[in-house]
Amino acid sequence: MIRLKNIYKAYDDLVVLKDFNIDFEDEKITALLGPSGCGKTTLLNIIAGLEAYQSGTIEGLADKTFSYIFQEDRLLPWATVEGNIRFVLETRYDEETIRTILNKYIEMVGLEDYRTYYPNQLSGGMKQRVAIARAFAYPSDILLMDEAFKGLDMELKIGLIQSFLALWKKDRRRVIMVTHDINEAMDIAHDIYILGGRPLEIKEKRAGKNK
Amino acid sequence: MRPSTIPNNKKIARPLIILFWLGVWGGVSLLINREIYLPSPIRTLRAFIELSTTAEFWSSIAMTFIRVAIGFLVSCLAGVILGILCGLNRFLYDAFNPLAITIKSTPVMSVIIIALIWFQSGQVPVFVCFLMCFPVIWTNVVQGVKQVDKRLLQMAKVYKVDRWHILKGIYIPSLTPYLMAGIITSLGFGWKVTVAAEVLSSPKYSIGGHLYNAKVYLESPELFAWTSVVIVLSFAFEYLFKRIAANMTNHSH
Repeated sequence: MIRLKNIYKAYDDLVVLKDFNIDFEDEKITALLGPSGCGKTTLLNIIAGLEAYQSGTIEGLADKTFSYIFQEDRLLPWATVEGNIRFVLETRYDEETIRTILNKYIEMVGLEDYRTYYPNQLSGGMKQRVAIARAFAYPSDILLMDEAFKGLDMELKIGLIQSFLALWKKDRRRVIMVTHDINEAMDIAHDIYILGGRPLEIKEKRAGKNK
Repeated sequence: MRPSTIPNNKKIARPLIILFWLGVWGGVSLLINREIYLPSPIRTLRAFIELSTTAEFWSSIAMTFIRVAIGFLVSCLAGVILGILCGLNRFLYDAFNPLAITIKSTPVMSVIIIALIWFQSGQVPVFVCFLMCFPVIWTNVVQGVKQVDKRLLQMAKVYKVDRWHILKGIYIPSLTPYLMAGIITSLGFGWKVTVAAEVLSSPKYSIGGHLYNAKVYLESPELFAWTSVVIVLSFAFEYLFKRIAANMTNHSH
């Protein structure tokens, strides 16, 4: 369990989080639903350790590793599909293990035929699939997603969400996702927190369709 | 049709343009009709052929080449290492920047004369080449490091990629186009300053030394022949590196 207690975060005069409390359960997909600019991404970045907060405590994050699917694909433009996934594995694995992991996850997202392609040779949906494969290939305890399916057309989005859920079922881990799309949250998540305001607050907690 | 015909025209046009300017050169030299002022292209070619039969010619080119290569490689090495460090560290950048600006604004002749006081004749051109190329490479590498996509660095941080792999996977590839631009600029420059330094320091085997002798003995055809050697070599290297640069940055955009 991850527990955030009384988190306070401000950029100069702008208070984004104040006395903010939230819990995330193990092996569950939690969606944070709310309008753009309410501070969801800040919350995610605080959990990932990318941004500092001024006061409060976070429990259950010691020694935890993260994967992060960003709004943009954030792929290395000069590396192939393989090279991009390899990049997050090289630090911790030997060549043989890397190969096994690469094969497994590239196949899982259906990009076997595109291993040696560069990002500028792939479509937007394929690039995001590489980012998803990278996130799962990395041995993380927690997977964070920030509007990972934003800006894709409906058909593509449904396809990506399906491959995401298929991956997750084979490789369960705690997921915290941020979105402003209620349907997306309902389809993917077990728990949905509806957020709003500034400073950020939990308006409602609901169960998603994913059981 | 258009895109395919233009390169073809270019291929035909280029030799014609070169021929045209050679014609202008020949015409002007005919008008002046004094070999000392302006030898004709044919006279220059003859001087070149005569020179090329001597062993001295080839050892001089080889030695000048070695000097350029050493000076240039050292400046690349120093420029890349110090450029990365200064690009990452604000304090180091502030400390180094005035030095780079000073070197850039120093006249080449001053550098050569100072080097003549400090070093032996064979080392002067190497040092001058190094000192003139270094700031160009350094500046470009620093710029390349500062242009690195912060979002990619953030991604690497989340995935706890270690420093060495971040350097290899993010910094080096994103500064490569900047480095290549710096290399191409400073390479042409390197040839010219190295030969200039040789003119004044006159090491035993050197293109610059022969330029100096040709001037002393008023052998204008030889002067022109040696000069064209420098031009051709400089062009050849620029071409070579442009090809390498095009290959290396193929996929980055």
